[in-house]
Amino acid sequence: MSIGFFEANGRQMSKGAILLLMAPFFALVIFAFLYPLVSLLSLSVLEPTPTLANYERVFDNPVYATVLFRTMRIALLISLLSLALSLPVAVLMANSRGPKAVFLTACVLLPFWSSVLVRTAAWSILLQRNGLVNDFLQGIGLTSEPLRLLYTQGAVVVAMTHVLMPFMVLPIYGALRNIPSDYGRAASICGAGPLRTFWEVTLPLAMPGIIGGFILVFLTALGYFITPSLLGSPQEMMIATLISQQMRENLDWPFAAALVGVLTILVTIITIAFSKVFRFERMLGARA
Amino acid sequence: MPEAVSPRVNGASIEIRNLAKRFGSVKAVDDVSLTVEAGEFVALLGPSGSGKSTVLMSIAGFERPSDGQILIGGQDCTRLPPNKRDIGMVFQHYTLFPHLSVGDNVAFPLKMRGIGKTERRRQAEAALEVVRLGGYGDRTPKQLSGGQQQRVALARAIVYNPHVLLMDEPLSALDKNLREEMQIEIKRLHGELGFTVVFVTHDQGEALTMADRIAILKAGRLQQVSPARELYERPSNLFAASFIGEMNMLPVQWDGVNAVFSENQQIRLPADAVIEPVAPGSAILAVRPERLSVAAPNEAGTWAATVRDVVYAGAGSLLITYLQDGSEVRLRVSSAGQAPVQPGQTIGIKLPPEGVLLYPAGAA
Repeated sequence: MSIGFFEANGRQMSKGAILLLMAPFFALVIFAFLYPLVSLLSLSVLEPTPTLANYERVFDNPVYATVLFRTMRIALLISLLSLALSLPVAVLMANSRGPKAVFLTACVLLPFWSSVLVRTAAWSILLQRNGLVNDFLQGIGLTSEPLRLLYTQGAVVVAMTHVLMPFMVLPIYGALRNIPSDYGRAASICGAGPLRTFWEVTLPLAMPGIIGGFILVFLTALGYFITPSLLGSPQEMMIATLISQQMRENLDWPFAAALVGVLTILVTIITIAFSKVFRFERMLGARA
Repeated sequence: MPEAVSPRVNGASIEIRNLAKRFGSVKAVDDVSLTVEAGEFVALLGPSGSGKSTVLMSIAGFERPSDGQILIGGQDCTRLPPNKRDIGMVFQHYTLFPHLSVGDNVAFPLKMRGIGKTERRRQAEAALEVVRLGGYGDRTPKQLSGGQQQRVALARAIVYNPHVLLMDEPLSALDKNLREEMQIEIKRLHGELGFTVVFVTHDQGEALTMADRIAILKAGRLQQVSPARELYERPSNLFAASFIGEMNMLPVQWDGVNAVFSENQQIRLPADAVIEPVAPGSAILAVRPERLSVAAPNEAGTWAATVRDVVYAGAGSLLITYLQDGSEVRLRVSSAGQAPVQPGQTIGIKLPPEGVLLYPAGAA
């Protein structure tokens, strides 16, 4: 009896079927990610002649190093902030059933499904000189005249935390939902109160989701463009804005490419470091 | 016996008063009252959905009763959260914390009670020795077999010398040999440590061999609470009679002294065949298959029956026969010293009056 091309033979599909199913995805990755990245990176070492001069420029001028460190600092701040805000939400979601669970999930996902541009624009409306936030602060008498809220690092941190929070909530929620309820009961009958149970059992078991969400938010924040460029201060640029400026305003593609190279190497190192310590398939919710 | 686990912990009594638990309109537990003496081993037995687990979870504090009271050691615990009840519990699926070593799992209840690290280690190791897993403390739960994991769970449940140990079908995930080994192990610990055990199971053999008393539940209601022998030999109602072991049940007419079959054969029952008073009229006569024996056809005082099937099972054989009115009667007879019986053959069935029980009809 022959096994059909697509038929699952027990657990394994035929190699041909796997290749065929994966082909569109690989084609897209090669065409839209690997090819542009490689050509950009080759630009950074081949223009005008084979050289490392573009990279030397990145490290020679302290301005660029400052931008890089600022970007990492802001990304870290956003990750920590969104972890602090997401953990209670994820716990509440994981412990809810029925309409309450649907409502909470909608609260997390609905903003997620609206465009990043819309959400960023919303913040610029809220934070402008005569915006809602300034009106409120003046209304309660905290300040007598409008504060400069827009075009600051603070605006970037707040808006990006908001934009990226679902990436933190969802993996943590997934990890929490995967913890069998019997563990909580076992801890409880052993004498642990609710807080102790959370700290000693729930949190360690949800750690893969927490780490996963953290990396997802941190790495996304590192290269984020729209929000910093719309809400950020031009004097305190982040790396993505700098790259864009070098490309579009200075038309210095080789140097922009070198900045991309540095960012890519940085992201790769961080990813590898994390995947050495925490196994990746567990972060994406697979049971160990 | 390692000295760290004190040689005799006295159990605490458990008193369940009119316990009820409703989920919406469903009565999971319906007016259950049960007193478990200190140091007693009681099994809660019933089909799934009978409410046995809900009763256990209410004792543990995971379910809040809709009505009624639960007293442990004389203290009202009805509203006490599980972590304040000082109960040991073994779950069906081990539930060892996967992020902790075996030793830390066992030491977990001690840590929650603020016992220092060195003392914790010592007591955890002692508890592991009690379940014959000394030296396994540094392993992770995943490195152990199912039976070993359940022993660790047992060690974790007894490490702080609780007065009460609850077990929720603790052996159902184990294969037969391990299950029997664990049954002996649990009985041994119960004997040595003296705690009170409430054990939920759907396996009647397990309940009969392990428990001092067995409580049978059906649809949220307590049917009977008795020692194993009484439960088997004098079940108090038709449900208990049919749930434990095999039982032949034959419709009869009861006139207060004699049970009359449709074929006009009758049997005079001793007074104690009737467990609860049965009104004259339709009734059910119940008799265990192993109480019956094969006699020559037409022998006086026997029922005429035709053999339909003979199932040989080594030491014993099962005969499936039917009476003249068509009702089925099963016999379990010793295979040895028995004249071979063939399907289709007519035999006489001899039943001793003292092995017969009578129940009101339609009360199952």
